[in-house]
Amino acid sequence: MTMPWQPPRITRRSRPRAMRPSRRMFLRGLAAGGAITVGLPLFEMLLNDHGDAMANGEELPTRFGLWFFGNGVRLNSWTPTQGADWQVPNDGQLAALVPHKEYVSVCSGLDVKTPRHPHHSGMSAVCSGGPHLKVDDVRDTIVSTMKYPSVDQIAADYFFEQQPTPYRSLEAAVTRFRGTDEGTSFQYLSHNGSVNGETNINPSEQSPQRFFDRLFGNETADPLIKQARASVLNAVSDQITDLQPKLSAGDRQRLAQHLDSIADLERRLGAPSPSCTKPDAPGDFPDVGGDEQMAEKNAAMSDLMALALACNLTRSFSIMFSTCGSGAVMWPAGATDGQHYMNHTEPSPWTKQHESVKFTMSQLAYFLDRLKQTPEGDGHLLDQCSILVCTEHTEGWTHSQDDMPILICGKGGGRLRGNVHQRDDGGNVSKAGMTALRGAGLPLTTFGHEQGAVTSGMTDLEV
Amino acid sequence: MGLQRRWWRPSVVCLAVGLVAGWSGCVGSIGDSPPDPTITDPSAKKTAPVEAHMVRLTAPELRNTYRALLGEPLVVPDLPQDDQLYGFVSLSAATKTVAPVEAEMYEDAAYAVLDQVWVDPVRRNALIKCAPTDLGEPCIRTFLHDFTSRAWRRPATEAEVEALLQLAQQIASSLGDGEGLRFAVAAVLQSPHFLFRVATGERDPDSGFMRFDSWEMAARLSYLITDSPPDEELRKAAAADELLDPEAVRAHARRLIDTPEARAALVRFFRDFMNIGRLDDLDKNLELFPMVSDTLGVSMRRELERLFENVVFEKEGDFRQLFTTRDTYVNGDLAPIYGIEGIEGPDFVPVTLPDDGKRGGLLTTPGFLALNAHKTESSPTHRGRFVRISLLCQDVPPPPPGVDTTLPAPSGGPKTLRQRLAAHAEDPACAPCHQQMDPIGFGFEHYDAVGAWRDTEHDLPIDASGDLDGVAFDGGVELGTLMAELPRVGNCIARRFYQHATTHLDERSERAYVDELVEGFVQSDFDFKALVVEMVVNGGFRYALPQEEE
Repeated sequence: MTMPWQPPRITRRSRPRAMRPSRRMFLRGLAAGGAITVGLPLFEMLLNDHGDAMANGEELPTRFGLWFFGNGVRLNSWTPTQGADWQVPNDGQLAALVPHKEYVSVCSGLDVKTPRHPHHSGMSAVCSGGPHLKVDDVRDTIVSTMKYPSVDQIAADYFFEQQPTPYRSLEAAVTRFRGTDEGTSFQYLSHNGSVNGETNINPSEQSPQRFFDRLFGNETADPLIKQARASVLNAVSDQITDLQPKLSAGDRQRLAQHLDSIADLERRLGAPSPSCTKPDAPGDFPDVGGDEQMAEKNAAMSDLMALALACNLTRSFSIMFSTCGSGAVMWPAGATDGQHYMNHTEPSPWTKQHESVKFTMSQLAYFLDRLKQTPEGDGHLLDQCSILVCTEHTEGWTHSQDDMPILICGKGGGRLRGNVHQRDDGGNVSKAGMTALRGAGLPLTTFGHEQGAVTSGMTDLEV
Repeated sequence: MGLQRRWWRPSVVCLAVGLVAGWSGCVGSIGDSPPDPTITDPSAKKTAPVEAHMVRLTAPELRNTYRALLGEPLVVPDLPQDDQLYGFVSLSAATKTVAPVEAEMYEDAAYAVLDQVWVDPVRRNALIKCAPTDLGEPCIRTFLHDFTSRAWRRPATEAEVEALLQLAQQIASSLGDGEGLRFAVAAVLQSPHFLFRVATGERDPDSGFMRFDSWEMAARLSYLITDSPPDEELRKAAAADELLDPEAVRAHARRLIDTPEARAALVRFFRDFMNIGRLDDLDKNLELFPMVSDTLGVSMRRELERLFENVVFEKEGDFRQLFTTRDTYVNGDLAPIYGIEGIEGPDFVPVTLPDDGKRGGLLTTPGFLALNAHKTESSPTHRGRFVRISLLCQDVPPPPPGVDTTLPAPSGGPKTLRQRLAAHAEDPACAPCHQQMDPIGFGFEHYDAVGAWRDTEHDLPIDASGDLDGVAFDGGVELGTLMAELPRVGNCIARRFYQHATTHLDERSERAYVDELVEGFVQSDFDFKALVVEMVVNGGFRYALPQEEE
């Protein structure tokens, strides 16, 4: 493992290793290796003359993404033919991805092996490789969070130790619906894991305008001001470490994340400002005639995320198209009620659900296309990405968690073949997460936790 | 603590046991479950509070705290979003960390509010009580001490003030004295002592527990009742260490509960209790319900909150009137749903609804009915589930994995939703749990997805007969009357307030504390203000379990 990157100028005292958030520990599945590269976050000007590597010989940076949609699919029109060059069945749900199929691989047959519960277990198993964690234990109507960090955070930690980017990770959401009564898994995608029952999430931004303001707003460039802000944050860090010993184990853990968050901010102030091309402000997307402008919001968020990746604001991201158990009304697909309710009321053959998934995949296709349209080196951004696309169920009306629908998109800087469908009947769903992370360059030899632990991935997808 | 060991109010024991027999083990409960068979002698469980835990300031609390410290006018920028856990923002605030993006927002907010003070030298100097031209002036140290003590809701230590002063001086060397002080204050406003309510308590030799000290009690009291930091009088009482005395705490609670801030704060409890914050995103099909406007959802929420305010603060009456009252508030958004003519515009008009058996109490408000319904149709299951879980404090498990939840395709002509849901009662995979929800929810079938009255569905007559644990009723008004009489409902409200106030789900060891609170609520004839006052002197609120040794 590489040495943790140290922020310049700022001395960090007294940060006990043991108090660092749990997610650090999950890198232990990584094989040793990974070059130390400390330098500028921007690299476009640092490419070699051929544009196929960095000037110093390092390969172009890979990116990891988690793209989630809620409520599963309708399996019989989802699954394409097996093997290389998969073919979509007639009117198949993956139709919109066909133009990008060289960059899209399919995993099928994989099951959730962690203790099952409608929605909750699938969400945590697919996104974190581990079981969900009940928050408190007095209601059957479960309130849960992720016990282990989601894959985007595993990738974020790995990338960050190699070479920090201005943001450790970025989180965006598209549709508005959030569950309010079943815990963080129904509201958020990116989780940092929970050691003592604390809820430790990375909230996703759902307003394209606020996302724009955050990434491309006018940050001060005055070095004296930045230095003063960093000094303030350093003082706050000291307050946190002074306070921690007085608190319960759970509260110490909560403050460990606070400390990490402060350190992220502090480090960013000490690094050169990234020079991104500032896009036009996206504005707001109010409902039209009572209908949420999903496609428009998706386009705006996809554009911003592609740009953020292009100028290396981060190397790990998540996009939550819709939440676990989402109640978003998929009106472009003809739906009139929230998707979750629709899944429990629409009779066979579930045509609206089928159309909803087709629509959702068209939104993913937009994002993949944006990445393809973003040049990098002598290729484009999708060449460098590994994106895990998943949902918490196979089919919503049974809450089934066998044969989970999963895609892995991008070429991972040459690590992923693309256009392969591997079926592994009864395999552990963590195998997909492992391959997606390996595809982004994480040298994992194991992945997952408890019943979700695996020692191999979906190897047909890897080069 | 003068708490008597007791199992549960006898009437409730009978009810609970009676219910269990018919439940097929589906319905569990929140805290007040029928005796756990693994505990043979419930009284053997020692009464004890839970460990102290930090609570992150919610967005309203944070806004109020900035304003209390820096005065008005003050524009507070976007703050991290509050979530709900078990329905309550307060419970979520007790488990949250601070994510990187949230640390950014807290930093932005701190500078944004301070800039509004520092940009105006008169306002700035009034806050500091001198001009920050020389950080060596005693006045600066005094300001840092006093400001930090107010911001952190306890006296700042010498070392803490010294560290802040050094920070100010370090920054002043490059940016000037005034700026140095501004940045030091920014460190106060980003501190965990500011962003979290930190309270650990002090060892209490009498009980063996940790007892929240006077400063901690002042903050617990004021944030619970007013969503704001302690005011001048509370700070004086804390400085004089008067708040270990329950009578003094009661007196301050009675004083605070009559402030406008208390109304807003307790309305927020009610909002979470009824889950009606979600009404702000009301999503209904506009073709079926052309009366739905952009502001309807908020109006629905406000009606319910006005009802609560009226019963609690204006009538100061029995909280259970909420289930039966025909006095409500209607504006132009709600009038078409009530079928009332002549009320237009956004302002609410007090209305006494006709005694025609169609409306009475919060269970017949458009807000409750629309929230617990779908975009196009009603939902007996959701409405029944809300009554079961939120008003009776009982539990209903979700469908087991692998069960096909699709209703059979409609055949043989139109059917009412009630007829379609009959499958729930017939299918043995569905019945045990759905029978705990649907028969309650069927009672609301006269109200459509936006809560408007209907006599027919698909031209078929509505059947709104329902059943609550063996008691038959017909329609929402009758159910409201039934609910108002059920001891379990009053118990549940008190219990939910206990959970909100102590920011955790009550544990078995706290049964006596909850019992005592319920008892007081009953004895006060269900006066909600009395419940709040008794809450802040409750053992579960004043004490904490010592931390586990590691």
